[in-house]
Amino acid sequence: MRRLPRSTAFRFALGYVALGIAVLALFAGPLWYTWRENVEEVRTELLREDVQSLTDIFHSEGPDVLAAVIAARVNRQHVANSIILFADQSLRPLAGNLDAWPGQAPRAPGVHRLTITQDGRSIRALLVRTELPGGYNLLVGRDSSRFRPLEILFLYGLAGASAVLALAGVLGGWLIRRALLSEVHRIRQTALAIVEGDFSRRLPVRGGGDELDLLAQTVNRMLDQIEQLFHGVRDVSNAIAHDLRTPLAELRSRLEELSLVRPGAERVYAEIEAAVTDVDRVIGIFNALLRLAEIDTGVRRSGFVPVDVAALAGDVADFYQPVAELEGVNLALDAAGAPTVAGDPLLLSQALANLVENALKYGDGSIAITVRRDASVVEMAVSDHGPGIADAERARVVERFYRGDASRGTPGVGLGLSLVAAVARLHGGRLELADNAPGLRATLLLPPALEPTRLRPGAGLSARHELAPELLAD
Amino acid sequence: MKLLLVEDNERVSRFVIKGLVEAGHTIDHADNGRDGMFLAAGEAYDAIVLDRMLPGEIDGLGIIAALRSNGSRTPILILSALSDVDERIRGLKAGGDDYLVKPFAFGELLARLDALVRRTRAGDSTTLAVGDLKMDLLSRKVTRGARAVALQPREFKLLEYLMRHADQVVTRTMLLEGVWDYRFDPQTNVVDVHVSKLRQKIEPGGERPLLRTIRNAGYMLTANA
Repeated sequence: MRRLPRSTAFRFALGYVALGIAVLALFAGPLWYTWRENVEEVRTELLREDVQSLTDIFHSEGPDVLAAVIAARVNRQHVANSIILFADQSLRPLAGNLDAWPGQAPRAPGVHRLTITQDGRSIRALLVRTELPGGYNLLVGRDSSRFRPLEILFLYGLAGASAVLALAGVLGGWLIRRALLSEVHRIRQTALAIVEGDFSRRLPVRGGGDELDLLAQTVNRMLDQIEQLFHGVRDVSNAIAHDLRTPLAELRSRLEELSLVRPGAERVYAEIEAAVTDVDRVIGIFNALLRLAEIDTGVRRSGFVPVDVAALAGDVADFYQPVAELEGVNLALDAAGAPTVAGDPLLLSQALANLVENALKYGDGSIAITVRRDASVVEMAVSDHGPGIADAERARVVERFYRGDASRGTPGVGLGLSLVAAVARLHGGRLELADNAPGLRATLLLPPALEPTRLRPGAGLSARHELAPELLAD
Repeated sequence: MKLLLVEDNERVSRFVIKGLVEAGHTIDHADNGRDGMFLAAGEAYDAIVLDRMLPGEIDGLGIIAALRSNGSRTPILILSALSDVDERIRGLKAGGDDYLVKPFAFGELLARLDALVRRTRAGDSTTLAVGDLKMDLLSRKVTRGARAVALQPREFKLLEYLMRHADQVVTRTMLLEGVWDYRFDPQTNVVDVHVSKLRQKIEPGGERPLLRTIRNAGYMLTANA
């Protein structure tokens, strides 16, 4: 039984039952009181009138006539449930339907409520005592037990209604609890299965659109996200294992061979330099991973400033222009207007630089950087005429460490596009890869800054000054 | 130069001390925060190389804060395994002058130390000169002997950086940060291409070379080639 009061549904039901009974009492209490008061008032009034007529007889005709009138009345019994007693100075009964002056009858005249004995049975009575001249006493009253059955009926009705209310509440609470418990039980079973490692399970959604369904849908979305992250982490672990092991294995064999073979000094130095290059490759992978993790946490959003994307793209284009010339590639910039985004200029530069480097690495003939803005989006696109990326591979190239078939045998870590995608996510945008027929068109779609008026000339630069004031040429 | 190294890792310390001594500097070394603070406060150094995380009551940032609040303006280079941009900003805000992430190449450390120490000595001249190469910062004109050298704005900035750090090794990372404000490693040799383009302009044909490539480190602009 300890479990019952712990159930939320049951506690709710009990609360409602208590509330129902309280409302019932609020309704019946005043009704009961007013009824009692009114009835009593009318009765007292009647009694007083009776007393008055009897007193009048006493005054005009004297005690003997009054006693005779009372005796006649008692004999006729014309008034049901009436109590009447006429007594002398020492309270000895002269006439009436009581055998003796009630012992507990108070001395003082006035209205009294008493339990007295009449014809051997105990009755509740409303009594008016009057003192008449000459020490005579008159007691007139009415048996109020007459309304007793009505009162009892009222009370029984009240109790019955309360009982029905309580029963309905308990039963309802139990039914709701059972329904909820079965639902909760199903959710719990699924959750436990997920805890055990079955990440494909989802909470049941009945499609009714009620609160539990909403909750289940939200939790399911959360589970989708967790599953994706979970797989992401596993893929990354595998990729790290592969991409870090390769240079580490090379390094290890290089060093081991050196210690075994012990070649001449010249060869040793060459091998050591190659070993340093191996280590630098490992460090490069680590740095790229840490950078990605840093971006993914989103903490850098706090440092966002208005960035003029056209100027930023211009800088990146200038930066890579000599390399493009050297490789005989035409690098063109086409920037329209002054599109502004709220962002991290360092990261946006790096993202665009990564796209340009990709285009330089795989592209052929010409590369176009275009910057566009419309009402809802700022676009930075890098198009090349290289082999492009096959449809099937496009979704995968943004994954960490994924390297397409085209990139096999070329230097690189395989984190470039993941970083671009992460930067886009950080800025509330996305990276889109499309067929440039032929080639690849990689587009960074970013939400425009809400208040372009806030842009100050060189605002992006001042943020960079803040990062490293001591490093700028001055 | 007289330098102080505060670094608790024995191998890193040995590597840095050996390199700096070979480069002709005098080094004091402390392997914990308390000794480091004691030395830094008591002696006059040209520069301090400081690990961020140190044993012994006071860490790297604590030492910097204490020195700066005492009015010391000794250049400080922070070494740290924490590479986050936020950590870097914290280090610089505490009063550090430069921030180098571990692991690092010794050439990078040496070049940055050189740059730090000379920067504090540099004056506010409006002209720069290395041999017969002259730069007027106001009119933005560059001449080699009697010949005017026409430069693009970014090339001008690159040359200005090299001239300000004349006779010092300047690494590719320093150029990326100082000239382009970029803080990432390009996968291509783009910095080298920029430098070689600049070199063609300032020393075409038979003129005496000024811009030297330093193997495994970077570049040096010097008249004493």
